[in-house]
Amino acid sequence: MQQVKRWLVIEMKSMLVIGGGIAGIQSALDLADRGFHVYLVEREPSIGGHMALLDKTFPTNDCSMCILAPKMNECNAHPDIDILSYSEVAGLSGEAGDFSARVMRRARYVNEDKCTGCGECRARCPSKVPNEYNSNLDTRKAIFLPYPQAVPRVMTIDKDHCIYLTKGKCGVCRKVCSAGAVDYEQEDTFVDLDVAAVIVSTGFELFDPSQMPEYGYGRYANVITAMQYERMICASGPTSGHLETSPAKQHPEKIAFIQCVGSRDMQHNPYCCSVCCMHAVKESILAKEHYDESQSYIFYTDLRATGKGFEEYTARAEKDYGVQYIRSRPGQITEDAGTKKLTVWYDDTVNRKVKGLEVDMAVLCTCLVPAKGGEKLAKILGIEIDESGFFENMDELTSPLDSKRSGIFIAGYCQSPKDIPESVAQGSGAAARAAEVGSA
Amino acid sequence: MTNIGIYICHCGTNIAGMIDVEELARKAAKLKDVSVVKDYRYLCSDPGQDLIKEDIRSMDLDRVVVAACSPRMHESTYRKVLSEAGINPFLLEIANIREQASWVHSEKEKTTEKAFDLVRIAVAKVKKDESLESLPADVIQRVLVIGAGIAGIQTSLDIANIGYEVVLVEKEQSIGGRMSQLGKTFPTLDCSACILTPRMVEVSTNPKIRLHTYSEVEEISGFIGNFHAKIRKKSRGLNPDLCTGCGECTARCPTKVPGEYDEGMGKRKAIYTLFPQAVPNVPVIDRANCVYITKGKCGICKKVCPAGAIDYELGDEIVEEEVGAVVVASGFDPFDPTSKEELGYGRYKNVITGLQLERLLHTAGPTKGEVIRPSDGAVPKRIAFVQCVGSRDEHANKYCSRVCCMHAIKNALLIKEHHPDAEIFIYYIDIRAFGKGYEEFYKRTQEHGIKFMRGRVAEIFEENNGNVVVRADDTLLGMVMENEVDMAVLSVGMVPRSDSAKIQKLLGIATGSDGFFMEAHAKLRPVETLVDGVFLAGTAQGPKDIPDTVAQAKGAASSALGVISHKVLELSPLISEVDERLCRGCGDCKDICEYGAIELITLDSRNAARINPALCKGCGACTVACCNGSIKLRNFTDTATFAMLEAVLGGEA
Repeated sequence: MQQVKRWLVIEMKSMLVIGGGIAGIQSALDLADRGFHVYLVEREPSIGGHMALLDKTFPTNDCSMCILAPKMNECNAHPDIDILSYSEVAGLSGEAGDFSARVMRRARYVNEDKCTGCGECRARCPSKVPNEYNSNLDTRKAIFLPYPQAVPRVMTIDKDHCIYLTKGKCGVCRKVCSAGAVDYEQEDTFVDLDVAAVIVSTGFELFDPSQMPEYGYGRYANVITAMQYERMICASGPTSGHLETSPAKQHPEKIAFIQCVGSRDMQHNPYCCSVCCMHAVKESILAKEHYDESQSYIFYTDLRATGKGFEEYTARAEKDYGVQYIRSRPGQITEDAGTKKLTVWYDDTVNRKVKGLEVDMAVLCTCLVPAKGGEKLAKILGIEIDESGFFENMDELTSPLDSKRSGIFIAGYCQSPKDIPESVAQGSGAAARAAEVGSA
Repeated sequence: MTNIGIYICHCGTNIAGMIDVEELARKAAKLKDVSVVKDYRYLCSDPGQDLIKEDIRSMDLDRVVVAACSPRMHESTYRKVLSEAGINPFLLEIANIREQASWVHSEKEKTTEKAFDLVRIAVAKVKKDESLESLPADVIQRVLVIGAGIAGIQTSLDIANIGYEVVLVEKEQSIGGRMSQLGKTFPTLDCSACILTPRMVEVSTNPKIRLHTYSEVEEISGFIGNFHAKIRKKSRGLNPDLCTGCGECTARCPTKVPGEYDEGMGKRKAIYTLFPQAVPNVPVIDRANCVYITKGKCGICKKVCPAGAIDYELGDEIVEEEVGAVVVASGFDPFDPTSKEELGYGRYKNVITGLQLERLLHTAGPTKGEVIRPSDGAVPKRIAFVQCVGSRDEHANKYCSRVCCMHAIKNALLIKEHHPDAEIFIYYIDIRAFGKGYEEFYKRTQEHGIKFMRGRVAEIFEENNGNVVVRADDTLLGMVMENEVDMAVLSVGMVPRSDSAKIQKLLGIATGSDGFFMEAHAKLRPVETLVDGVFLAGTAQGPKDIPDTVAQAKGAASSALGVISHKVLELSPLISEVDERLCRGCGDCKDICEYGAIELITLDSRNAARINPALCKGCGACTVACCNGSIKLRNFTDTATFAMLEAVLGGEA
């Protein structure tokens, strides 16, 4: 592999990237490699975004973390990238080429410079809370690292669940920290950054399927979301890669994947989120790879295998992994109160009959919706969002990455639904646009 | 004295689940010259890296073995660790105990044994490794862009606007590509020309862009940072510097032939421009159809040209360009449906392709925007769109072409707007409305009364009145249905450009099984190729729509800038070297080298091989071809190989 040497001719300007998922990481690396100084602001304690939570990626079945972690580490090690994690943009003034951004650095109650990430505090912390990074399938401590490969590898105290911060008692983590990094007195601070351009890559969050009571999510133990499935099948996830039904704790034999949950739906989100078809195909292949006796059914509206190698992938799933595609949007899921098995009720559009299919597990492929706080961020930055919550661009065809405010660019899912390669391409593309402003 | 550290990664349970890492560590600790063995949950994490750095410093380690995942993942990470800890980064070996052991075996004990074998092989090799230094190479700060459709135009503008020079080569006589053939674009129904032509003009007036139209790249040599391209500027049969683009010649030319640009739906002259807004606005003489050139008579264009620009004898010109990076944006061709005989294209006049319909719908097209059917010029009232022609098809192309659903929906809507009483049927497998605003657009079309028929068309046949009958399996009714329509439109897919094999050879880049150029990594390196310094943009890499193409073109611009914005690059020193005293100059190595990195030089009146370090990829083919062992691949020497074999076959390393 070739290593590119940086060549600083003149003092280069700084850039702000908001959102440290794969799109933002790509923008930051592209800009930093060109000599710009980059501030990468991430709301969560670690950069990595949703890609860090995936097990494998379609259509190559590459391990997601294996290809992402090197990029996360590269950001961390790059002399021209400052990662401001657990931080949010609070204000922006100025104009293209000469912005001033105010960033709120939330108190993590741990001194970033001192923490070594040894984990002693976490081991001793008595407070357990649902672990959002594992889709609440297990628990984490109140002082925590989102996942082992987190960047930066610095602990964060969740102030709502820390016993010391809520009740003034405990203090165990401070006692056991050999680096003296725990600091309960820490407060939110603000920093002002002079930047030439801004890239917004705030990504998505998942639609909450409990808004669709017909599928029984939250009521039936064996109805789970695709993200929960993803965490379960991931070797480093809460079940160490095992799929288990409740309460029998057995591997599911029959698994139903329900597509378009909350998407292509006038009552929720009218748009197609563009990745769930392939996501379900991948998950059904993984099910078969883990449990040879398993049988997956994918209930789809239209099977949208549009990317490079995707059509071949869906064909392979059918031929080599026995995945059955059923064209239907199920109307309801019911549960047998005794066995906890599920029945998926659907209109078989090919035979024109209403049928029921008994399965051990039903996976809801929920819509990906723009990340929360988009409206607030749009106001702060002076850019616009459309009725679905995506950031508006100047022109979808010719300036897809330019927001309506000069000097601010958008990349990744927050711009419109897209998969990883498209997010990476846009991350690079937005970097080229930002560099244009920075070179002017 | 050798002082080796071994670090074993658990990779969560990826490795530790199938390999007993503690047992492995115990065994490895007994190997000769090994000072320390440690195992860690995720070595690639920051604390994992710090662990190695700390040991190197405190224990004076001089060589390191990492037993973890494939070197493709983290070799560069660990090389950096060594460097930062103060030892030469090439004194590192990776034992790949994940992809080559834990992931592919199912018996823990035996897998652990194999992992130990891999570790001791790595230990044997690391002892033979030598310190190496990267080689600096100067960079030419200019980019060659091949293809001037919307992708190539966007890439060129993005690079030029930052201040670097671009050489833009287009095969056709005008830039603009496929997008210039389109009337309106989905889902906004923007006029394609209105958004494209300003960019075309921008390209022609930007002083940083050197445009070669009606030109083809014939030869590229060199390597990242230093490419040399030979470009053939084909003769237009006239002097472009004199031509004013007045169009008098075209108006008076007596020869008419079917126009390729109109997909055969209209006629053009033998001296012609592709379309009114062509850039440059300079015509070309079609040598195969010009009466003067084929028969020696006529010569009207020469007579009427007020600028005296016409020169029938003008020959091709070769220009040479030096660049630091190359972006391939050569685009696509529409699938030729003649091979799908059951659909009758080419036999039945009223079966046309989607791109032909596009030309009919275009207000500047051959019918000025009026949709008429070819057999009798009547306005068709019943129209069937046939999706997935040549796509998602075991007998043609397995892949989905991504744009045809939306293209058909858009054209159906446009026809419906012109003729609200028209009946339109779209035969589809799945409606793939996946982009921004696409689903909403699809919904709107349904509300206009366009009928979506779920089923693949099996056959089209013709009636006496020129109407065609579409026979399809309606999967929702479970019946085979026949539907007589006035005209059928085949939504043909995208295929790689007819000359893509030539470009592939020129640059040595790879193509996938679908024939499109291969990116370096499907997920994370979508615009790079495996040839350093060569990047991809647009549909040359695979079917995509205009917004995706523009975004990817910007990505390619960014990546190319990543190369040429540096004045110096550091090249990998893991390459072959020739012992010129031993070399007999037989040239076998030169013949076998895939990268053209070896040349024969004269040395004291005899031949000897010499390797260009910038071109050598370190594949080692030459070392095997060499008859007397005078070529060595650095750090992959015979001595090292024997030591590795001995380690695993002879017991103790």
